[in-house]
Amino acid sequence: MSSEWIGQLRSIAQQFDRDRESVADLRSLEDIRNRYLSRKSGLLTLQLQNVRNVPPAERAEFGRVANEVKGKIESALETLQHQLSQVEATAALERERVDVTLPGIRRRIGHVHPLTLARQEIEDIFVSMGYTIEDGPEVEKTYYNFEALNIPPSHPARDAKDTFYIEDDVVLRTHTSPVQVRTMEKMKPPVRILCPGRVYRRDAADATHTPMFHQFECLLVDEGITFSDLKGTLERFHKQYFDQKTETRLRPSFFPFTEPSAEVDVSCVFCNRSGCRVCKYTGWIEVMGSGLVNPRLYEFVNYDTSRYTGFAFGGGIERYHALKHNINDIQLYFQNDMRFLEQF
Amino acid sequence: MKISYQWLREFVDVPSDAQTLGRRITDVGLALESCEDASGDIVLDLDVTTNRPDCLSHLGVAREVSAIYGVALRKPQFKVQEGSQRASEAFSISIDDGQLCGRYCARYLAGVKVGPSPDWIRKRLEAVGVRSINNVADVTNYVMMELGHPLHAFDAHKLQGRQIIVRRAELDEKLTTLDGVERQLNPSILVIADAKKPVALAGIMGGGETEITTSTTNVLLESAYFSPNSIRKTARTLGMTTEASYRFERGADIEMASFACDRAAGLIRELAGGEVLSGIIDVYPGKVKPARIALRRDRIAAVLGAPVEDVIVHQIFERLELKPAQTAQGWTVEVPTFRADLSGEEDLLEEIARHYGFDKFPGTLPSSRNFGALLPGEKKVRQVRKVLSASGYSEVYTYSFSNEEMERRFYPDIEPVRLRNPLSEEATILRTSLIPGMLSALQWNINRGTRNLQLYELSKVYWNGGERRSLLMGACGNITPANVHQTTREFDFFALKGDVEELLKEFNTPMRLTTDNIPKYYHPGRFARVGHLAMFGELHPSYAEPFKFRQRVYLAEIDFELLLGAPENRRVEQIPKYPGVKRDFSLLFDKGTQYATIHRTIVDAGISELVRIEPFDRMESGPFPATKYSLSISVVYQSADRTLTDVEVEGFDTRILKNLEERLGAQLRK
Repeated sequence: MSSEWIGQLRSIAQQFDRDRESVADLRSLEDIRNRYLSRKSGLLTLQLQNVRNVPPAERAEFGRVANEVKGKIESALETLQHQLSQVEATAALERERVDVTLPGIRRRIGHVHPLTLARQEIEDIFVSMGYTIEDGPEVEKTYYNFEALNIPPSHPARDAKDTFYIEDDVVLRTHTSPVQVRTMEKMKPPVRILCPGRVYRRDAADATHTPMFHQFECLLVDEGITFSDLKGTLERFHKQYFDQKTETRLRPSFFPFTEPSAEVDVSCVFCNRSGCRVCKYTGWIEVMGSGLVNPRLYEFVNYDTSRYTGFAFGGGIERYHALKHNINDIQLYFQNDMRFLEQF
Repeated sequence: MKISYQWLREFVDVPSDAQTLGRRITDVGLALESCEDASGDIVLDLDVTTNRPDCLSHLGVAREVSAIYGVALRKPQFKVQEGSQRASEAFSISIDDGQLCGRYCARYLAGVKVGPSPDWIRKRLEAVGVRSINNVADVTNYVMMELGHPLHAFDAHKLQGRQIIVRRAELDEKLTTLDGVERQLNPSILVIADAKKPVALAGIMGGGETEITTSTTNVLLESAYFSPNSIRKTARTLGMTTEASYRFERGADIEMASFACDRAAGLIRELAGGEVLSGIIDVYPGKVKPARIALRRDRIAAVLGAPVEDVIVHQIFERLELKPAQTAQGWTVEVPTFRADLSGEEDLLEEIARHYGFDKFPGTLPSSRNFGALLPGEKKVRQVRKVLSASGYSEVYTYSFSNEEMERRFYPDIEPVRLRNPLSEEATILRTSLIPGMLSALQWNINRGTRNLQLYELSKVYWNGGERRSLLMGACGNITPANVHQTTREFDFFALKGDVEELLKEFNTPMRLTTDNIPKYYHPGRFARVGHLAMFGELHPSYAEPFKFRQRVYLAEIDFELLLGAPENRRVEQIPKYPGVKRDFSLLFDKGTQYATIHRTIVDAGISELVRIEPFDRMESGPFPATKYSLSISVVYQSADRTLTDVEVEGFDTRILKNLEERLGAQLRK
C-alpha cells in the first residue's frame, strides 16, 4: 500500500507537468499555483495532509518524495513566474512604443546677434593677447574724428557728402579711430587697446554698404614697436579668427594717420588662394587698413616721438563676419529676419 | 588711373608682361584694379592713393616701375623750334593772388591749323579714357596723361587786351564754362581773366568763349600751379570734378609747369603747324626749393623691424629720383617737388619699406607686460544675453537713425540729436528709444510669416547731450506653437512678467511692482513698473495700429545702466537638510482682491518656517456667490534645524487662515 501514497504524489507531479504546459500568462500561473499549493484546497497540500494515514514505516520515504515533488513544483512555478514577468514587461514596453520619427518638442531659445558674436570673438582674441577694450561716443567732435588724426579741415574725407554732420564741429563718428586719440589723451604708453563700435558713413544701403556699420580698431604704442610687430599681430589674429592656414599680406597704401600705411589682405578663406569668384581669382581678400602710427598724431597727445612707436589697424565687424560665413549682403545684419538670426 | 602699357614702355623698359607688372606694382602701393586688352595695347587700371598725385601720369608710374625693376627711366626728349618774335612782346601775364597761384607759365603759338588729331594720339587718349576733341586740346590732355601736369589752351585772339590776370573773381561775375553751364562766381574762386572778364576757372575748366575752335589760329598755352586747397574748395562749391582739378587738388608739381608747357608747345607745332613764339613767359615769384629730410640708419631696423643694407636704400632713393647724401648717421635726402607727400623721416622709411618689400620684414609679436581686459561691466552684459537667450529672446540690431514723428509718439519730451544732412526724411534724427526699431523688426518678421517672436535689442539711445545703452524686449504670438504633441499657449502679460523677473533675479534685484505713471503707449490695465529700472506691459492698441499688427505686442523696457549698477552680492543659500511640508488651501475671496494683498497677508502671519507661497488654481465662477472668486494656494513650511511635527504644521495653517479670514474675509472652501 505504501507505494500507493507515493504513487499519488508522483501522479500529482505528472499532472502538474501536464498542467503547466498550458500556463500562458501570470493569471493562469496564479490559477495553477492555487490548484496545487493553495493552503486549503491545493492538490498537493491535501495530499500532504494524508501523511497521518501513511504507515509509520513509510513516512520517511513519503516525506522525502513529498518534499521533492513540492520543491519541483515550486521551482517550476518560480521559473514560470520569472519568464512570464519578463514577457509581460516586454509587452508593457511594447504597448508604450511611440513614433520616434515625430518631431521633438523644442523649447524656444534665443539667438545672440551675429555681430555681437563676432565682436565678442574679436574682443576675446585681443584680450588674450593683452589688449584692453575701450569705447567712446558715437556723436563725436570733429577734433577727435578728424583733426587729431591728421585729417585737416580741407580734407575730402570730411565732406558732408560722406559724413553725417550734427553741428559744424560735431559728427557721427566715421570710424572708431577717435577712441585712439581719447585713450592716448588720458594715458601714457604703453597703450594696448582694442575699440569696437558703431560708426556711420553717408552711403545709401546696398549689398556692400550700410550708412551704419561696426568697426574694431587696434592701437599699440610702446617703446620699440615695429612694422614687423604689426605684421606678426595681424598674422596671429587672422589665424585665430579664420583658421590656422590663413595667411596675411600687407600692401603699401595711404592713410593720414599712419606712416607707413598698409592695406591688409588675407588669403581667400573660400579657395585657400587657388582663386575663386569671391577673391576675384587673386587668392587674396582685402580686409582692413593698417600702419605705424604717424608720429604727427603723437604731437596732439604729447607723446615723446623719439621714445615711442606704435601701430594701428581697423576693420569692419560685418566684413569679418560675412567673410567667415560667406554672407554676400550686409543689409541682412540690420533687417533682423529671424530666418537669418536663428542660424547663429 | 588708366595706364597704357605701350605708352609706359616709352619711359621704361618693363622686363615683364603686363600681368606680372600689375602684381609687382600692387606690391609697392599702386593697386591694380583691372588689366584689359585694348586693340593691341594693354590698359592697367591702377588705384592711386590721394597722397600720390605724381603717379597720375605715365611718367610718374614709369618712375615707380624703374624703382621696382632697377631699370633706367627715360624722360621725354624734345626740342621746341621757336620763331623769332618774342612771346613776351605778344602777351603779358600777371598773378594778382600769389597765395592761390604759385606759378604761371605760358607759350604763345601763332598760325596753327586746328583739326583732328592723328591716329596715334587719338588711340592713346582713348586707351586712358579721354575723348579726342581736336589736335590742340588733345595735346594738352596728352601731356597731362604723360607728365601729370594739367594744361589749358586759349584762343589767343579772343583774349581781351592781350593779357592774362590770375585773380579772385569779383562778386556777381559770371562765366560760362566749356560744358555750357553759366557759373556764378564769388571772391573765394580763383579765375583766369583777360583785361575785361574771367575766361577760365583756374585749374578746373576753361570758358566757352575762348575755347579752341577750328577757326582758331593763335593759341595761348597755360601751364600753371594752383593751390590744392583753393581748387578743392572751388570744385566742391561748384560741384565739378575734372581731370585737371583732380590733379591740382591733390598737388601738381610746380617745377613741372615749364617743362610741360614746352612739351605741349612742341607737340602742337608738330601736329598743327604754326610758329612757337620765342621764349616762355614764366611768372614764378617764389621759387620752391626741394625739401631735405634727414634719415637715421638705425631707425630702419628700429621702426621697420629689420635692417636694410645701405646700398639697397641708396638704390631705392635714386630710382625714385630722391637724392640721398651719406651722413655720419645715415642720409640727408633731397626731395623733388613732385613728392610733396614726403616730409618726415617716417615718409622715407615708408619708401624704403614698400620698395624693399613689405614681405621681407618678418612677423613678430610684441611682448606684453599687462593682462588684457574686457570693458568694465562686459561680464554682466554677457550674463544678460545668456539669460535672455535662455528665455527665448533673439537679439536684433536696428539703425540708430529714426523718424522724428515716430520717436515723439513714444518719448515726446526728449530733445533729439538732429542730423544736418540725413540720407532720407525717414531718418533725420538719432533714436530716442528702441521702441520704433523694435516694432519695425516685429513687423518685418510678421510680414514674412514669422509670427511668434521674442526679440531684444541692447544698444544705444541718444539725446541732445548724450548717449547711453538701453535694453528693450519685444514679443508677440505664441510661446509654444501648436504641434502634434501639444496645443498653443499665447504670449501674454505674465509670460513677459516672468521673463523680466528672471532677468532681475539674475541681478539680485527684487520685483517691487507699481502701476503708477503709465506711459500712454501701454495698455492701462496691463502694465507694471519696477521703479525706474523696468517698465513692461502690452502695447496700447492705438500705438500698435500704424504697424498693422494683428496680434498683441508686449514690450519691456529696462534701464540697462541701472541694471548693471545693481550690486553683485550673489550669496549661496544652504540646501535644507529637513523635509518641507506642503499644504494646499482653496479659498474664496471678494472679487477685486489683488493677489499681492493675499500674499502679503500670508507673509504677515509671521511664520519663519514659511518658505514658499504659490497660487495654483483660480476660478472666477463656480458653486459660490458671484461676488467671490476662488483661489487655491499652496504653501511650504520648512525648518533649517528639525523636522516639523503635525501639531506645528496645523498651528501654522490656523494662523494663516485666521489672518486671511480676519483681514480679507476669506472663506476656506470645504
